[in-house]
Amino acid sequence: MEEKILLKEGIDIDLKGRGGDTPPAEPNINEYDFFVLEEALNLDREEIIEQIKEAYLKGRGGAGFPTGLKWEMALAEEAEQKYMICNADEAETGTFKDRYLLENVPFKVLEGIIIGAYAIGAEQAYIYMRGEYARPRNVFSKAIEEAYKQGLLGEDILGSGFNLELRLIKGAGAYICGEETALLNSIEGKRGRSRTKPPYPIQKGLFDQPTAVNNVETLASCREIIRIGAKEYKSLGTKESRGTKLVCLSGDIWKPGVYEVEFGQVTIKEIVEEYGGGTRDDAQLKFIIPGGASTSILPAEKLDIPYCYETLAQAGSSVGSGAIIVVDDSHNLFDLMVTVSRFFMDETCGTCFPCKEGNRQVNHILNKVADKGGFSKEEVEIVKSIGRTIYLSARCGLGQTSLNFIYSILKNYPDEVLLGGDKHGKD
Amino acid sequence: MVKINIDGQELELEAGTTILEAANEVQVNIPTLCYLEDLSVYGGCRLCVVEIIGEEMLRPACTTEIEDDMQIKTHSKKVREVRRNIFELIISSHDIDCKLNCLTCARSTNCELRDVGEQIDMQEMRLDAIERNYVDDSSSHSIVRKPNKCIACTRCIRKCEEVQGVGIFTKANRGPETVITTFKDRGMGNVDCTNCGQCIQACPTGALHESYHYNSVWHFLNDSSKFVVVQTAPAVRVALSEGFGEQPGTVATGQMVAALRRLGFDRVFDTNFTADLTIMEEGHELIDRIQNDGQLPMFTSCSPGWIKFIEHFYPEYLDNLSTCKSPQQMLGAVTKSYYAEQQGIPPEDIVVVSVMPCTAKKFESVRPEMDKDVDFVLTTRELIRMIKEFSLDMMNLAEEPYDKLMGTSSGAADIFGASGGVMEAALRTAYEVITEEELENLDFTAVRGTNGIKEAEVEIGDLTLKAAVVSGLGNAKELMERIEAGAEYHFVEIMACPGGCAGGGGQPIPTNQEIVEQRLNSLYEIDKHKSLRKSHQNPEIKQIYAEYLGEPGSEKAHELLHTSYVVRNI
Ligand SMILES: Cc1cc2nc3c(=O)[nH]c(=O)nc-3n(C[C@H](O)[C@H](O)[C@H](O)COP(=O)(O)O)c2cc1C
Ligand code: SF4
Ligand code: SF4
Ligand code: SF4
Ligand code: SF4
Repeated sequence: MEEKILLKEGIDIDLKGRGGDTPPAEPNINEYDFFVLEEALNLDREEIIEQIKEAYLKGRGGAGFPTGLKWEMALAEEAEQKYMICNADEAETGTFKDRYLLENVPFKVLEGIIIGAYAIGAEQAYIYMRGEYARPRNVFSKAIEEAYKQGLLGEDILGSGFNLELRLIKGAGAYICGEETALLNSIEGKRGRSRTKPPYPIQKGLFDQPTAVNNVETLASCREIIRIGAKEYKSLGTKESRGTKLVCLSGDIWKPGVYEVEFGQVTIKEIVEEYGGGTRDDAQLKFIIPGGASTSILPAEKLDIPYCYETLAQAGSSVGSGAIIVVDDSHNLFDLMVTVSRFFMDETCGTCFPCKEGNRQVNHILNKVADKGGFSKEEVEIVKSIGRTIYLSARCGLGQTSLNFIYSILKNYPDEVLLGGDKHGKD
Repeated sequence: MVKINIDGQELELEAGTTILEAANEVQVNIPTLCYLEDLSVYGGCRLCVVEIIGEEMLRPACTTEIEDDMQIKTHSKKVREVRRNIFELIISSHDIDCKLNCLTCARSTNCELRDVGEQIDMQEMRLDAIERNYVDDSSSHSIVRKPNKCIACTRCIRKCEEVQGVGIFTKANRGPETVITTFKDRGMGNVDCTNCGQCIQACPTGALHESYHYNSVWHFLNDSSKFVVVQTAPAVRVALSEGFGEQPGTVATGQMVAALRRLGFDRVFDTNFTADLTIMEEGHELIDRIQNDGQLPMFTSCSPGWIKFIEHFYPEYLDNLSTCKSPQQMLGAVTKSYYAEQQGIPPEDIVVVSVMPCTAKKFESVRPEMDKDVDFVLTTRELIRMIKEFSLDMMNLAEEPYDKLMGTSSGAADIFGASGGVMEAALRTAYEVITEEELENLDFTAVRGTNGIKEAEVEIGDLTLKAAVVSGLGNAKELMERIEAGAEYHFVEIMACPGGCAGGGGQPIPTNQEIVEQRLNSLYEIDKHKSLRKSHQNPEIKQIYAEYLGEPGSEKAHELLHTSYVVRNI
């Protein structure tokens, strides 16, 4: 299959079986040219980091931390052993872009991992992959195996003197294990729960050694930056959102799939209508969730904004993982809230009392509310105060973002969720 | 040094200080639930969150180290609101549905959850109670676990693992279903729990408590066909009064004896008496082992938590354990034989109850090797309950003495309640028995104090006796490792609980290092002020040998006062 990712202009990619394309062939290492890797290994570590910094790439795993800065700090750490970890847990609702990359362009991801490891001076790397990802696992295991055979992993990679061991770890089905410190615990064989930060993984990560954790798409993008150069990459996107982003479109649309968009060049509305083919069966679009269920919704009337970090932040939400879930007006809002709340309740790691108990209590209230068909004003207040409490006091991103969806529904649709008598006088 | 401002107070502290510690410096006790001094920091309850000026999110005081120019507000509006909300959430799933759960709880009088609720001034409860319907774990002879009251703070896990080196608890499941459990959910009675009860001391709620015997004791107290005898362990007399609002360490021996008589016990004996007896038997055994190339080092055997620990983890050393029963069991045994004969009471009519600072003694009493010497074991806490239910103003009772024949004891017996006490008592007797000279200085200070591992060398005639004294099972593990690595001792005293029985798992809550030290000081004070300070000089001890047992180590003594051990797997 022709490589369509990270081209200069926003070009969509049809996922296997959608839009009529034939399914992609098995990736073949002999048909892949590792020239970018070769080029990277000829650069100084600092030069690579300089490129990534200049390109101003932000992490694509959800938090958006500048990758160049992360690598610079990792390189500066002194330690016997350092680790590079590729986060392929991809458990955020509606997200399947990393799967796409792993299945279709595994060597590009592999190059990204090796380049990252080289840049920070790590000789050990892991890829931590979502447990349910059987096919990506097969494809990528084979890629690793072949890479070892061809001298792309192991000792003295491509004659550069750089050594790297890469292991694939299969996750066991916990959303929290995508959070970088919980992921480290999981690799170490411990219970999947987040760690207190600081120390950050950069200082004390896997087995207490400096560790950089990066998302699959981030690493693939690094490979692209080295290929086309930071200047060119930087010319794409906007000031705070450089380059392109893979968007996972799903929900009530005609053409769900992974699409690549240049930041700032298309509006969310265009993404939904032009790439996604619009809502199905002529239903009315109600809202979208821009970055998975941990982000706040954007109602239909607010979608005419360019897709990038800045505008989404202004609109009170975020790019998140890039999972745009489109919801039409045929759904019951209470059902949606119960479903999302159930997800977060089940997935908290159970450490922080506010997150553990708060999500349980919110789920309990929502079930009650769904049964009687609406919130009392007091219930809205309670859910909001629980949400604020979790946000302000929970340890990790899971807790902090767990009520974004519900909170934003309450905020955007007060008249629809309040019980009759409580509707008058909004806040 | 780092300069900070907490609640308007400027101060300079060393780098690495946490906000929680810094707040203490300005007399602010930030509320906590999962934090416990001496354990690793968990950072789960989030009650200790504080506001840092300039930051949106709050930060937990227990895990956050101070930074230069930090402006900290420990009780800002935001903080107070968040704390109350967290507390409300905790309570909502804490088995509270107003079936008077708080009143019927093991911790009705000393619940940390309620203390914190009071501290943060809970004013309303907006949330529904969420029922959890977990099943209680009653598999253990010593401890009951009530998961519906558990808040998953992991203090028990950390105490068992970090302080006791046992580690039988773990967290299972995810989300709100996160529970504390044992290996394969087997229950505390079916895993390698030592029954020491230190987890109870760590628990802030009523989720862990001793398995209660006091209802059975009430039953027999009301049964006039039974002759109900009670014995009290050394460490109980310096802790019981805490249950009646006294300062830790306040001695209440005479008041306790009076209270026990009021409750209806037919005889009140002192476990101290058999502590002296233990010294005679164990001392004899030690001398025998030293003189006849026996198995050394010899380990003490009076702490049943330690016994179960060695049976599980170091069974290859069982021959090193003294064969002496613990003083509790000895007293039961001689009550149902010697005393029964003397008084002409049929042994089957006698019910022996003991009051112990210990939960492991409950398990010990049902060991098949022990032959029902002791029928029921009350913890110090259970006795407090009984006295309270009887509405006795205990501290104002006139002091009364123990009953004759088994009520006299030396100061050496009192210090059995302290880590190092058995060693010191044994040394006092061994010295005089071996050298046949009078010991000048009775205080072996090297083996006193709350250090986890204490070592001493004592000259006894030509012998340089090498001794080690250990308290806390984590330290026991370390000592065993030292022995495996070649360290040599003649005699090793090991107590399962930190500080010894004064810090036992059955003692009043709270029990912490400071309180344990106050109890220990009182034990040494009692010893200091007794004229009788050596076990072998106790006239009732002389009497029991003369009239009944013969010599220490005699056949009769072996039959009644010695026992055997079993290998348990891990
Ligand atoms: C609950 C939770 C789940 C997460 N799941 C993922 C994930 O599946 N994949 C991922 O790359 N990052 C995930 N993250 C973000 C990671 O913690 C981390 O920020 C990221 O892997 C860093 O890589 P990046 O800088 O390249 O984005 C998650 C974060 C949270 C709080
Ligand atoms: S916020 Fe939630 S998921 Fe994150 S550490 Fe706390 S309990 Fe676990
Ligand atoms: S642990 Fe405390 S709050 Fe909970 S039921 Fe017992 S006394 Fe009440
Ligand atoms: S009784 Fe002792 S050994 Fe058993 S669980 Fe509690 S602390 Fe651990
Ligand atoms: S049993 Fe007690 S100490 Fe253990 S986790 Fe539960 S509440 Fe905490």
